[in-house]
Amino acid sequence: MAGPQDSSKPKLAAGCRWGGTEAARVVLFPEGAIRMQGTGQRVLELCDGERTFAEVVAQLQQEYSSADATVIRADASRFLEQLQEKRIVDF
Amino acid sequence: MLSNPLALIAEITHRCPLHCVYCSNPLELASAKSELSTHDWLRVFAEAATLGVLHVHLTGGEPLARTDLTDLTAAAHGAGLYTNLITSGIGLSRERLERLVDAGLDHIQLSFQDSGEMHANWIAGTKSHAHKVEVASWIKEHRIAFTANLVVHRQNLDHLEEMICFLEGLQPDRIEIAHTQYYGWALKNRAALMPIRPQVHNAVRIVSSAAARLKGKIRIDSVIADYYARFPKACMGGWGRQLMLIDPAGRALPCHAAGVIPGLSFDNVRERSLEWIWRESDAFQKFRGESWMPEPCRSCDRRTEDFGGCRCQAFLLTADATTTDPACSLAPAHPVIDKALREVPIETASGSPTEWVYRANPK
Repeated sequence: MAGPQDSSKPKLAAGCRWGGTEAARVVLFPEGAIRMQGTGQRVLELCDGERTFAEVVAQLQQEYSSADATVIRADASRFLEQLQEKRIVDF
Repeated sequence: MLSNPLALIAEITHRCPLHCVYCSNPLELASAKSELSTHDWLRVFAEAATLGVLHVHLTGGEPLARTDLTDLTAAAHGAGLYTNLITSGIGLSRERLERLVDAGLDHIQLSFQDSGEMHANWIAGTKSHAHKVEVASWIKEHRIAFTANLVVHRQNLDHLEEMICFLEGLQPDRIEIAHTQYYGWALKNRAALMPIRPQVHNAVRIVSSAAARLKGKIRIDSVIADYYARFPKACMGGWGRQLMLIDPAGRALPCHAAGVIPGLSFDNVRERSLEWIWRESDAFQKFRGESWMPEPCRSCDRRTEDFGGCRCQAFLLTADATTTDPACSLAPAHPVIDKALREVPIETASGSPTEWVYRANPK
């Protein structure tokens, strides 16, 4: 499997959801939970199943305008690919 | 500083329509009349959420044997807990599943005994396989996480590939291949269930090639055959460290089998809050941390990874709960494992006549 296509609409997989508190957000899945913070949290929040991956990347590039746009895309793609392998994200 | 428990294992009943020979429930099952009330469980779930617990695993016995399961699920979900149902599927109808999903069920773990109906029913001691296959198709009608679980042992390991293909066909998100853990009924039936070494080696190869083949589609998790491992399992992620188990009668246990260890007294959620039990109860403090550890654990680099293995297994195999888990190759008591493995009959033909005791039902 590779990372998402531009037209993919990534979202949390079945049985995976947000939890924890406002101060300490986690993504809950069958075997456990991952604490989310910073850019990782932002990437996942944008993955609502409505936005395409291209739109998610464009939004991130706008929010983190001081970072290299190519790096943002590559990082987001790898992050989602890893979560997809764990069956936490679908695209 | 003591961290909070992450998951609550709620053994809501020991009643079960199946009689699986590998069941790890205690031989002394809690009676139906000793079970906690709906009200008690509701309070337990609320307390668990306040204590910082994230997941609740509704298990048993067969949790569907409780007619209030939908209410329990709704309460756990309402408290903010991630709710997992560990079930055989027996007692589930399409409508009842729908009510559970509506109540907030996040994940269902459905057990299978084998790929073939006759063999599966023989292991379960009940005609159950065909219904499970139907249940799997109902689960796929909902957007919840679905794990198909398979317990493996000498009697089914010879066709592991076939069993994985069968489970794949049910389209779960996850497949869990769990080697039998020898507690309760499984320990009683160990002579019939213990695999031989080539079966264990083949299983490793088959599971890893299936995991590679299914990568990104189905996640494969496995539970090791600890008698054949070099190091013991990190039982419960360490005693009193991450997990809390409440048995049907309300006793709070640090491990599924902890009831077998003599001299431990277990506080009951009927009398004490979960927070008090987690922090103060003797049973949870007994093997928490490292001060109880003997050598070779005490000076071992792996003590923070496997925590000395399982206290209950140490007791069951050596009559001493404070010794290193004999499954560890460094354990002074490791020869009891070698002896058990030497006694495994060489013939492995699946379905060969076998002497075993089916799991009973509580009185």
